[in-house]
Amino acid sequence: MKTLYLLLAVIIAVVTMTRCNMDLATELEYESYAFSGIDSDAGSWKPILISAGSDISVDEPTAQNSPVFLAELEAVKSRISSMSNDQKKNVDHWTNNAVLRWNEVALGLIAKYNLIPGPNVDESYSLPDPANPAGPPVFPFAHPPYASRALAYLSVAQYDGMISAWHYKFQFNRPAPYRVDSEISHAYVSNNLPSYPSEGAVLATVSREILTAMFPLEADYLKELEEHHLESLILSGENVPSDLAAGKKIGEEIAAIALARASNDGMKYSQSPKAVSDSLRKVAFDRFGWQWVNLESPVRPVGLTPLFGKVKMWSVQNVESTRPGMPPAPGSEAFQKDVKILQDYADNVTQERRRIANFWQDGLGTYTPPGHWNDIAGEYILKYKMNSIRTARAFAYMNMAIMDGGISCWDTKYYYYYPRPIQLIKDFETIAGTPNFPAYTSGHSVFSAAAAEVLTYLFPQEGSIFREWAEEAALSRIYGGIHWTFDATVGTTQGRDVAQYTIDVAKTDGADD
Amino acid sequence: MKKYFWTLILLMGGLGLSYITMAQTPTDGLMMPKGDICFLLNYEYGQFDHYWEGETLRKNGTIAKVQRRTSLVMAAYGITNRLNAYVGLPFVSTNSTTPNGGKFAGTTGIQDLTLGLKYEAFRYQGEKGEWTAFGSVTFSTPVSNYLSDYQPYSLGIGAPQLAWRGLIEYEWNNGFYLRGNGGYIWKGYTEAERDYYYNDGSYFTSWMDVPSAWIYEAVVGKWFMDKSLRVELNYNSSISTSGDDIRAYNAPQPTNKVNMDCVGVFAQYFFKKPKGLGLVASYSRVIDGRNAPEMSSVNAGVTYQFGLFHPTN
Repeated sequence: MKTLYLLLAVIIAVVTMTRCNMDLATELEYESYAFSGIDSDAGSWKPILISAGSDISVDEPTAQNSPVFLAELEAVKSRISSMSNDQKKNVDHWTNNAVLRWNEVALGLIAKYNLIPGPNVDESYSLPDPANPAGPPVFPFAHPPYASRALAYLSVAQYDGMISAWHYKFQFNRPAPYRVDSEISHAYVSNNLPSYPSEGAVLATVSREILTAMFPLEADYLKELEEHHLESLILSGENVPSDLAAGKKIGEEIAAIALARASNDGMKYSQSPKAVSDSLRKVAFDRFGWQWVNLESPVRPVGLTPLFGKVKMWSVQNVESTRPGMPPAPGSEAFQKDVKILQDYADNVTQERRRIANFWQDGLGTYTPPGHWNDIAGEYILKYKMNSIRTARAFAYMNMAIMDGGISCWDTKYYYYYPRPIQLIKDFETIAGTPNFPAYTSGHSVFSAAAAEVLTYLFPQEGSIFREWAEEAALSRIYGGIHWTFDATVGTTQGRDVAQYTIDVAKTDGADD
Repeated sequence: MKKYFWTLILLMGGLGLSYITMAQTPTDGLMMPKGDICFLLNYEYGQFDHYWEGETLRKNGTIAKVQRRTSLVMAAYGITNRLNAYVGLPFVSTNSTTPNGGKFAGTTGIQDLTLGLKYEAFRYQGEKGEWTAFGSVTFSTPVSNYLSDYQPYSLGIGAPQLAWRGLIEYEWNNGFYLRGNGGYIWKGYTEAERDYYYNDGSYFTSWMDVPSAWIYEAVVGKWFMDKSLRVELNYNSSISTSGDDIRAYNAPQPTNKVNMDCVGVFAQYFFKKPKGLGLVASYSRVIDGRNAPEMSSVNAGVTYQFGLFHPTN
C-alpha cells in the first residue's frame, strides 16, 4: 500500500508541476476604449488617393425627427432586443476601433498564403496565377513584397475612406442612435462621434474589397466578416441602416480607386520571365563580376519578383535616388572580414543570437516582416488610445513607407545581384532559411528601418525602442547566416532614407496641426 | 526466473520529425527485484528521406536525407519487487546529408530527462502459462534549451510529457508470449522563439500547444536458449488527438497532428557469464503516418544489472 501512496504522490506532484491549460491568444486582446480624442477636423486632412474627403459624395441624411429616421431607430431597437449571445460576442469582438481588427485579418491571410510553391513531380516550378487562383499552386504567394503591398493598399484605402467619412460626419452632425434614444444602449465606450456616415461601414466594405482583390480565394470568408462587422454596428447602438449605406458607398468608391491604382502599379510584371531575370543577372555580372545564384534543389529558375523594384512607389518619384552604393567585392579585405564574422556566428550560436535570429525571422508561413511591424504598431496604437481615423493614418503611412522601402530594396537587390553567404563561403550552414533572391540589401533591414522611422514620427516618445528593434531585426539576418553585415547596415540606412519621403508627406496632411 | 531479468525497450518510431513518443519508456513485461539496479547504454541511428505532409508521402530536396543519432544512458531500480523506477537521459544530434538545397545547420545536445515508475498490478500462473499486468507512468521534460520550433532538426518537442500506460502479457510455458499495451501521452506546451505563428489561424503568442496522443503496441515474442535470448516482432501506433497538418512545402512545427504506424524487430541476449550483462538490438520502420517522417532506425545497446544492496556477483 505504501508504494501505491508513493506512486500517487509522485503523479500529483508531476501534474501540478506542468501547466495544463494555457489560454493562447488567437487575436489581439483589447476591448472598446475611450479615444484620446475624436479629431473633429480630420475631414479636412489630406488623403492619399483622392484630393480631399469631399471628393466622394454622400447624400444628406434624413432629419432626426423625420418619420424615416424614427422608423430606423425602432427597427434598431427591436434588433438589439432580440440579440443572441453569438451576436453579442460579435459586437464585443469588433470594438469601437475595427481598423485593428481588419489589420489582424490581413495578417492572418498573409500568414496563410505565405507559402512558397514547391517543385512539381518533374522538378519544374509553377507560378501562382491570379487568373486561376485555386492553382495549384494557389494564388497568391504572400511573400514580403506582396504582403507589404497588400497592407499598403488596405491601409491607404481605409485611411482615405475614413477622411471622407469624417468630412461628412461633422458636416451633418447626425447623432448616434444611443444618443437620440435613451432606450438604445451603447455597447462601447462612447466617444461622441456623429454617426452619419458610419466609419465602421466604410472600414467593413473597403477592407473586404481590397482584401478580396489581394486574396481572391477568401472572397466568401471576407464577405462573411464584412456582414458580421456591419451587423455589429447596428447591434452596438452606434448606427442605423442609413449610416451604414452611406459608409458602404464611400468604402466601395475608395476601394475602386485604390484597386485601379493597384492594377496599374507594375506588380503584375514583378515576377518576370526567366529571360528578363537572366538579362539582369548578366548586366550585373558584366558590370561587377559577381552574380547571385539560387542553390535550392531543384534550382529555382527565377528569383522572387525581380521587377518589384519597378513598382510604382507611394512617396518617392525615382527609385534610383534611394539606391545605395556598391557593396564590397567578394575577395576584398572588407568582404573577408565579413566572412570571418559570419563563420564566427555560425560556429558559436549563442542563445541570445539564436533568439534574435528566430524572433525576427518572420519567414515562410508567417505574417512576414511587414506583418510583424503592423503587429507592433497595433500595440502602440492601443497604448496611446488612438481613435480609428488616427489608427488608419498610422497604418497607412507606415505601410506606405514599408512598401516603398521594399521597392527600393528590390531595385537594389536586382541591380547588384549580390550572392548570399551560402554561395560564397564553403560548406556554410545557416540557422535561418536562405531566401530566393540576391543578398544586398537585406529586406528585413529596409522594411524594419522604414517601419521604425514612421513609428518614431507617430510616437516620438517611443522612438528609441523602435529604432533599437529595427537594428535588431537587421542583425537577426546576420545571426541567421543569410546576410552579410553590410546587407544589414546599408539596408537599415536605406530604410530610414526611404521612410523620410513618406514622413514628409505625413507632416503636411493636416493631422499634426 | 523471468522476474530476475529486466530490460528497456525503446519505443520505435518515436524519433525524428515529431517525436511522438520518447525514446525511453519502460514498456515491457519484466520487473526487477527489490534492490537491483540496471544501466543501459544505447545508441540509435535513424534516417529518412521521405515524410508525410498531411497524408501525402513526399521527398524534399531542401532537407535531402535527415539523419538522427541518439545516445541514451538509462538506469532502472527495483524499489520493491513490484515497483520499479526509471531515469533516462538522451543525447541527440541531427543533420541533413549533403548535398541539400536548404544548407541548414543540424543540432546537437541533451534532450529530455525522463523519470518513470512501473507497477506490477497482477500476476497469475496458470496451467499452460502466466498472465501478468502492469501500469506505468513516465514523465519527461527538456533539460537543455534546445529549440523545438526548428524542425526537422530539433532535438525534441520541447514540452513536458506525461505518459500513462497499461500493459498485459501472456506467456506460454513453451516461451512464446504476447503483449499488448495502450496508453495516453499528455503533452504540454513548448515555447518558440517567435511571437506569432499560424495554426489554422493566427496565434499571437510564443507558446505552442503540442498535441497529446493515444499510443498502442502489440508484440509477439519468444524466449530461446534457456531464456538467454528473446526475439520480438512489434507493431506500434500513435495517434494525435488534435493538431494541424504540415502546410505545402513548409516546415513542420510542434503543433502538427502527428500519427505513425511502425513495425520493428527486437532482440535481447543475456550472458550467463559475466552474469548481469546483456545486449539489445533492434530495427524499426515507420510504415504509415501523417505529418511524420518515414523513419527507419537501428539501435544497439548494452545492459548491466546487479544487486545494489545485496551484491550477488
